[in-house]
Order: sequence, then C-alpha cells, then structure tokens
Amino acid sequence: MKTYDAVVIGAGAIGTSVAYHLSRDGMKVALLDHGDIAGGSSSHCDAVALICDKEPGIDTTMGQASIDLYKKYADQFDYDFEYDAKGCLYVCETEPEMVAAERYAVSQQANGYPLRMVDNKELCEMEPYIAKDLAGGLYTPPSGAVSVCPYKVCFAFTEEGKKLGLDVYTYCTINAVHLNPADHSVESVDTSYGTLRTKRIINCAGVWAPDIGKLAGVPIPIQPRKGMNLISEKVSKIVNHKLLEFGYMMSKFDDIKFKRNVSPLVEEYNVAFNLEYTKASNLLVGGYRGFRGFDIRSEVEAMKAISERAMRFYPCLKDIQCIRSYAGVRPYVSDHLPIVSDVDEVPGFYIAAGHEGDGICFSPITGLLMSQILAEKKTDFDISPLDYARFTAGKK
Amino acid sequence: MDNFSDDMIVCRCEEVTVADIKRAVKEGARDIVGVKRRVRAGMGLCQGRICEKLVQQILCAELGLKPDQVGSASARPPVRPVSFGELAEGVVE
Repeated sequence: MKTYDAVVIGAGAIGTSVAYHLSRDGMKVALLDHGDIAGGSSSHCDAVALICDKEPGIDTTMGQASIDLYKKYADQFDYDFEYDAKGCLYVCETEPEMVAAERYAVSQQANGYPLRMVDNKELCEMEPYIAKDLAGGLYTPPSGAVSVCPYKVCFAFTEEGKKLGLDVYTYCTINAVHLNPADHSVESVDTSYGTLRTKRIINCAGVWAPDIGKLAGVPIPIQPRKGMNLISEKVSKIVNHKLLEFGYMMSKFDDIKFKRNVSPLVEEYNVAFNLEYTKASNLLVGGYRGFRGFDIRSEVEAMKAISERAMRFYPCLKDIQCIRSYAGVRPYVSDHLPIVSDVDEVPGFYIAAGHEGDGICFSPITGLLMSQILAEKKTDFDISPLDYARFTAGKK
Repeated sequence: MDNFSDDMIVCRCEEVTVADIKRAVKEGARDIVGVKRRVRAGMGLCQGRICEKLVQQILCAELGLKPDQVGSASARPPVRPVSFGELAEGVVE
C-alpha cells in the first residue's frame, strides 16, 4: 500500500497549486482527479487575476499576493503559463458609474493600491477601438492586473510539482475515505489505483468538493454557478487591457445594482461586458453568470445578449467572427469567500475550495496558505474569514 | 499511421504537428480534449472539423485505444463562424 504525507483531491487551479506548494515543502504528495488535469472549471473560465474586482479587505490582499506570486513563478517555472501583465480598465458608461467607481478607487487607494480614474479622452487613447461616448474608467496598472492561461497554470504547477516528486493520478475514481474510528482522523483513501494511506487529505475539488466532503462526513456548502464566454477568430491586437464594465463588479455578487440602460435580454441573463486579447490572438468576450445546476451547455440567448452588450462598448466587434462559445461552472459559496481551512471534526481533512470566479486569481496564494496551514506555521495574513467553522458555528 | 511523419501538420488552423500531439500524450493527454488543451489542436477557425479524426487516429495508435475511448471535442455553438453583429441581431428559432 502506498503512503503519502498528503493526498490532494482535484487537479484544477487550486489543487495543482496546493500539490505544488506541499511538494516544495518536502512532503510526499499524491494529486488525484476524476478526470484530466484542468478538466473542470479551470478550463471553462476566463483568464485574469485582478485586484480591482475585489472588495477591499482580505479579497484584495489575497488577489495582490497571488499576482505577486504569478510574477515570481513566471520567471522561475520552465512551463510557460502565458503570464501577461496587461493592466485593467473598468469602463464606466455613465457619470453615476464614474462616481461609484471613484468611491471604490479611493477606498483601495487608502490601502495603498494604485488604482486611478481616467476620463473619456484618456480612455480613448488607451483603447483606440472603444466606443467614443463612454464617461471614462477605473484603471489598474499591471502590478494589480495580470492575465494567465488558466489550464496552463494547472499544467505548470503539475509539471513543476512532478520535478519535486509529486505523483499524479488522473482519471482516478475516489471510492471511500477511511477515518480512525476513535478520533475521526484521516487514515486512507480508496481509489481505482488502490488504497493510498495518508494522514492528510486536502479537498480541492471545487464544485465537486461536496461529494468528497460526503465521503468524510463533512458537509460543504458549495453550489455550481454557471459562467459563459465567446471566442473570436484570430484578429490583430485591438484590445490592450483587460476590459470590463463597471457593472460587472456588481454582477459578480448578487445582481447588478446600477440600473443600466440595457435591453431586457441583457438584463435577464445578467450579462456584463468583459473583453480581453489572448496570446493566441483570439478575443475572449463575456460574460454571464447564472444558476443552472451542472448544465454547462451553451445558451444561444446568452450568446446573443453577450454579443449585444459587447458591441455597445466595442462597436468593431460587429464584423468580427465568433468561432465558439463555452461555459463552465464556478464553485459558489453564499458569502463569496473561499474555504481555505482545516476541519475541526475530522483531523487531517482540509478544504481549499469555493473560490467561485476567483479560482485562477487566488490559485498561487491558496496553495501557499495551505502549505502554511499544514506546516502549522502562522499564515502570511489573517485568514480566519476563510475558516470552515463559519458554517458549523452555532450548530454544535 | 506509418506515413505520418513527425513534422506533418495535423491541425492546419493552429499549425499543430504529429510530434506536438505525441508530446501532449506524453504529458498525460488521453482524449481529444486533453490534446486540444495541451497543444491547441482543434482550437482554430474550423474548430477541429479537419483534424479531429486525425488526432483521434494518432491518440488510438499511441495509447492502444479504440476511437470511442478517446472521445470527441464538446459540441458548442456556433456551428460555423458568425459575426458578433449577426449573433446580436439574429432571431433565435
């Protein structure tokens, strides 16, 4: 029977990072997935790590820490994950949005983040193809807004981990988790590759984390939330920054608060414009979020709504070809914070999941924090808001 | 398969060769989607219409699998390229 210091379940942006960071600490680690590396949410999402789509506080702290790590790993790793420090523009359609964006910028500036407002003129200089009638935007420089190729991040962490002795088991069915009958601590995992003995399991299975939790008797309140994007044919570089409409910030949360002048279709699908140019010369055009269970089929009405909204901000898209749509599910937690934590009830069972749309952004820092938790070191900053116990408090 | 040289282009849209696909298999790809994600075969303008069957053959030969075991790319609209303008204005039937 094989024995590991830690077994990481889920080979997406979170699991591969956790596996890499634990391996780097000298642990003997197994990385398990029911499919391929990056087969789930991490290959059905968009590609950015930003501080400017976060609430001030722990969200932004984690975002900045992760961006700094991406920069470092882009230099260190042999595997190219297409790191591109491109900066970000949150585009404001109207004056009231400018006012709200400025309020947000001021709150982030107070914490030392270099966000600033740009007016219509500067916006049009920064993005020559953008609609000319917009009020302005909120600019985040490259130090706080980078893009990476999400599935290549997973491959990079995996390949770098393998150099440090990481064992990878893909297309692996996980049948059971065995606990010590006396103290409920983790003892082993039964898989289609046999039983793996370990005292530590890290559940990084994202939207599937509740299934793994069930095997250890740990209920995990994560739901799948669908997101959808469109891809263009290859075009010349007509977009310089990551672009989003300021309303997108709100759509990440419960709904778009600003009453926008949009069609009923755009409203119905909660569509918010976002656009970026990839290293492969395609445009990613988004996006919409909704609750559809695990159904990740493309919705034609949503494609229409995304196209309509995108052309409002980028009129030249009208004659550019869309070659594909794609959709995936993000692991949604009702308080919009991931779970990065041990579990008091089951010693040796850890959770790093529930990052919703921030999984790519938070991937490096989540791996680092988890390695600090397992080493019983003090984490780089206070992560008590990410504790699993927030869901069990009051139930004991 | 014997006449597939390593430098033969398989995916014309993304210029992916036989050697690239073999490398993807070495890195752990076991199906069409796994190859696509690792080396971009099938990600271009034609969305794998030309190359998918070739990628399937190479995968089967490399891994000793049958065609139905290496799957196919997920079917996604649009069926063929359509402009964002047409998409936005089109009638959904």
